[in-house]
Amino acid sequence: MRMLHVLIRRFRSLFHRTAQDAELRREIDLHVEQLLRENRAAGMTEAAARRAAQLQFGATEARLDQCRDERRVQWIEDIGRDAGYALRLMRKSPAFTLTALLSLALGLGANTVVFSVYNALLLKPLPIPAADRVVFVDNSGRTSNSYPNYREMRDRNAVFSSLFAYRMAPMALEGNGGGGAAADRVWGYLVSGNYFEGLGLKPVVGRFFTPAEDGQPSASPYAVITYESWRNRFGGDPDIAGRQVRINGMPYTVLGVSPRGFHGTELFYWPEVFVPMAMQPQIEGHSWLDNPNDFDAWIGGRLKPGITTAEANANLATVAAQLVHERPVNDGMRLTVAPIGLGGSTLHQPTAAFGGGVLLLAMLVLLAACANLAALLMARGVDRERDLAVRVSLGAGRGRLVRQLLTEAITLALLGAAAGGLLALLLLRLLNHWRAPVDFPIRFDVSPDLRVFAVSLASAVATGVLFGLGPALRARKAVPALRLKGERHRGPGRLAARDFLLPVQLALCSLLVTTSLVAGRGLAASMQSPLGMQPDGAAMVGYDFGLAGYTRERALQLQRRVVERVSQLPGIAAAAFGSSVPLSIDQSHTSVWRDGTTAFRNKTSLSANYYDVSPGYFAALGTRLLAGRDFDDRDSAQAPAVAVVNETLARRLAGTASAVGRRFMLGKGETVEIVGVVETGKYNAITEDPTGALFRPMAQQYNPTMVLLARGRRNETDMAIALRGAVNQLDPHLAIYGVGTLRDMLGFVYLPMRAAVITLGAFGILALMLSFTGIFGLSAYAVSQRAKEIGIRIALGAGRREVLQSVFARIGLLVAIGAAAGLALGAAGAGLLASVVYAAGNGQPVIIAGAVAAVGAVALAAAYGPARRVLRTDPLRSLRYDG
Amino acid sequence: MPKPSDLIQGTLDLLILKTIAARPLHGWGIAKRIQSVSGEVFAIGQGSLYPALHRLEQQGWIAADWRDSELGRAAKFYTLTRAGRKQLERELESWSRLSSAMQLVIQQA
Repeated sequence: MRMLHVLIRRFRSLFHRTAQDAELRREIDLHVEQLLRENRAAGMTEAAARRAAQLQFGATEARLDQCRDERRVQWIEDIGRDAGYALRLMRKSPAFTLTALLSLALGLGANTVVFSVYNALLLKPLPIPAADRVVFVDNSGRTSNSYPNYREMRDRNAVFSSLFAYRMAPMALEGNGGGGAAADRVWGYLVSGNYFEGLGLKPVVGRFFTPAEDGQPSASPYAVITYESWRNRFGGDPDIAGRQVRINGMPYTVLGVSPRGFHGTELFYWPEVFVPMAMQPQIEGHSWLDNPNDFDAWIGGRLKPGITTAEANANLATVAAQLVHERPVNDGMRLTVAPIGLGGSTLHQPTAAFGGGVLLLAMLVLLAACANLAALLMARGVDRERDLAVRVSLGAGRGRLVRQLLTEAITLALLGAAAGGLLALLLLRLLNHWRAPVDFPIRFDVSPDLRVFAVSLASAVATGVLFGLGPALRARKAVPALRLKGERHRGPGRLAARDFLLPVQLALCSLLVTTSLVAGRGLAASMQSPLGMQPDGAAMVGYDFGLAGYTRERALQLQRRVVERVSQLPGIAAAAFGSSVPLSIDQSHTSVWRDGTTAFRNKTSLSANYYDVSPGYFAALGTRLLAGRDFDDRDSAQAPAVAVVNETLARRLAGTASAVGRRFMLGKGETVEIVGVVETGKYNAITEDPTGALFRPMAQQYNPTMVLLARGRRNETDMAIALRGAVNQLDPHLAIYGVGTLRDMLGFVYLPMRAAVITLGAFGILALMLSFTGIFGLSAYAVSQRAKEIGIRIALGAGRREVLQSVFARIGLLVAIGAAAGLALGAAGAGLLASVVYAAGNGQPVIIAGAVAAVGAVALAAAYGPARRVLRTDPLRSLRYDG
Repeated sequence: MPKPSDLIQGTLDLLILKTIAARPLHGWGIAKRIQSVSGEVFAIGQGSLYPALHRLEQQGWIAADWRDSELGRAAKFYTLTRAGRKQLERELESWSRLSSAMQLVIQQA
């Protein structure tokens, strides 16, 4: 603390030099005046009095100088001088500087990018007041809960000052002044009336709706729009509050605009419109608000002041126990609080795990860069030793030398950080502006904030200290007399601590190369893994018959006519409708029970992805039928309920893949016959375990959201346009969304993996570069250290081979140690990836061994250069050693 | 942390700290007081008082402010700070150790 005061005072004196000098002069003048007066009073003449005063006080100017020395901010000036000297040195050896700056820029830049993303996903709070008090309520590790459950939780809990529900929903918005009658399909939120109140938001324009305005079903046509929507879609209309718009064909009143930057309570999803939950039946076409079996609401809340997470969980457990008791469907329900923003713990946990893993790898890259730079600095230190020795013999303190070398290292690190920071900013800008090629308002806000800046700066300084400390401490032990002669006071035989820089670096690089190889191979494997469909050669267009006000009969009719028309288009082999396609964002899940079940409890249920499809769906999707038949006209609404299941669900329901003719049960006790079995594919994610899937004929199980899917030999994009045209001819007013190819849509599923592969691939390449430069530097250093010994050997007649052998033996040993450590680290690193990268676990030993071998080979190749140079040197010269 | 001061410098610091411990004084006052209390022994080199005052101020042991003085105009008055008081105790202690050690050596040698 006191040190701080002294520092502050000294800093101040740096800037107030002249003022302090003037003050001091006044003080001294006063003193001298008093002396004069005394002397005069003692009866001296004026001249004698002056002379005596001079003698008594001493030379005024010298005193002033002494005072200035006392308050001089010695070390700050030293640092400035050292940094200047460091910059001059860097200019003198551009090759070294460039290598060092490059590794630093890459290492630190990679860290900044990774940390920014990590920060955005896991650390940055949502843009709401006191965001740390707002949490998500998880339902047994799942995201959603039923609305009846929500109502009970809201009324019975004792820990939330406000508990709200929300749900993402597409909406057809008209009347935004964009011209024309066509509706825009936008994404919005259905929210309970207390949503804005609970979040503590203040509208920028107008007002929000209140709990009272979320009452009667379909009788609260109010909307709140986001700031971005207001600016972009409504041109920032100052009279927006009270304006009429149409949502799904019904008039709504815009009440207000949410604050700038606010985009709901999920990080990735950027909605435009908020509508009261009471409007759900009108927005989604079917009501689940009173259905305890429909788990479609996401729940979040603001904790009361002083309530801890543990207290909240305890209270929620009590409420959950009551709900389980009252509604059998809630069987096994656990309610827990989780961070809000990533779909509760479902996405949060894997994101945190993977984010942490990548952060760790990024730090390892930086560590490898540190080891690399330490090696380079030591190698260069050979040249610097004589310079340092001269300084020591001229009286420089050892501590002063250490400080100088550290300043040099930190200057280098800060320059590298600046370059890396620029790279990172560029990359982050790209990421910020990137939009996923999917029909979903996905966005990342990874703009770096103060925290990112602080962490980057801290890691730059830490890096500088880390790689500068070794060489600096060595300088402290410099023995001037020996160094000036070019001697070393240490024999070449022993392994010193710094020799382990090489193995450390190799091990780290092996790890990084391993992970990037595992990731790359995972991507390749997943591209080839059976998806249960043929993504190439198919196009799709999405419609919402519910939004367009179609009845079930009219929709099915139109659907049949569309399929007929599309099938007649040239080059189309198959066309069909489905409620959705596997691996798209829109996935529904349902529970089924084995035949003969009487108690429909959670524990005995089997979960399956659920699709309502028209005949020909499997052909259009490219899914193979393993047994039985596809749906056809027989499966009408009046006919017995039938289903097609995938092989996995067939085995789970019937214990065998040949399950045609067997029955299973839906929740309401309805029995369904299996008429076909299709191959198992991927439904939710590429990396998922085999998952059950259930297909029902659309004639028996209607769903207003539909995807028209067609397969053919034509260009996929042309086909998509043709599909759209065909539907347009039949109904020009039907709103269309998500026109594209099946392959495009899969882009979203591959997204996390692509991101992982790109990051890790970049790390791998970085690691290889680092190991090459680092090992080159180290071997150059090792060889130059032994130049004298090698010179003697050559002079005594040693051959090329013996000399090379002796050089390589040592480096080989270090490489071997590093490789062994790399094997262990690689295995651990590959394990980390299993959750994100497809088939990360397969064939690991081969990959790890290959990665380590690659790094080892690079190491030896890098060592060859310096070793060969030794052979070419003149023994006499290396004996004399003159640099 | 403060470097161990050599004997002369340390002595001067101790004298200054001790002198202003009783009440705040300006440079001239400190010089006069040391002079009179020490029986005119410490009369020479009054100028060296100022670098010492400066050093002590930089260390945060004394604080200074300009006040009206009995000399007819404003003078810089030095006050002992809390840290300065601790430092004075330390210096007194080490001084008494040193002087008693000196005493022993002189008597027994």
